Amino acid sequence: MVQFEVTVNVEGGLHARPAALLVNCSSQSQSKITLSKGTKHADGKSILGIMTLGVSQGDTLTVQIDGADEQNVATAIQQLLEQSS
Amino acid sequence: MLRSLFSRKKQQQEVTFLAPLTGTVLPLSEVPDPVFAGKVVGDGVAILPSADTLVSPVDGKVTHLFPTHHAIGLSTESGLEILMHIGIDTVKLNGKGFTPFVSVGDQVKAGDKLIQFDKSVLENAGCPIVTPIVITNGDMVAEKNVVAKATVQAGQEPLMTVVLK
Repeated sequence: MVQFEVTVNVEGGLHARPAALLVNCSSQSQSKITLSKGTKHADGKSILGIMTLGVSQGDTLTVQIDGADEQNVATAIQQLLEQSS
Repeated sequence: MLRSLFSRKKQQQEVTFLAPLTGTVLPLSEVPDPVFAGKVVGDGVAILPSADTLVSPVDGKVTHLFPTHHAIGLSTESGLEILMHIGIDTVKLNGKGFTPFVSVGDQVKAGDKLIQFDKSVLENAGCPIVTPIVITNGDMVAEKNVVAKATVQAGQEPLMTVVLK
């Protein structure tokens, strides 16, 4: 399992479009992916779940990935969240 | 074989969506945003609104209301997750022009008012007002049929039916 913290730089936070792009990336993976903001957790493969976290630009998320391709997915997700648009 | 097909059909659950907006029904492919048009968010349909109030298409629970009130997520009892996104690029309005009537956790009935929006605020900001209505957990869906005619009345007419797996 890999776990890392990431500051979300996506403009406007994780609204529909970035959440969809994230799920598009995570759903290609066999790993279990969990995003956490404070005490709230969301399945990294659920668009509505991710949007429900209410992530604003500048928030810090904890990402947990567990599975065979966890390293690759971790890199991809980190890049997605750190980029500004 | 035939009998098993029929009995399976009877067990399938169908959810009917009422039109959540008054306006013109469009395919998602006409939404000017590749993420919605490409069904990355989910499959569904879009409405170009001619009136200013979004109502609930189903009985369900408000599971998500983005802080800027431009998008709302609902879950039905059967587990379908629905996202309705008022206009395109409207996240940048930061809540301006949107008035919500519900909060996260509220139970709603089909036809209940969810969000009112000021079309002129959206249009002045250069945001298309076409509103995608999509199912975000499409793995539950066996079949989706848009049953609406070209234009619909909010809360009055069916928009689409969804057969669950």
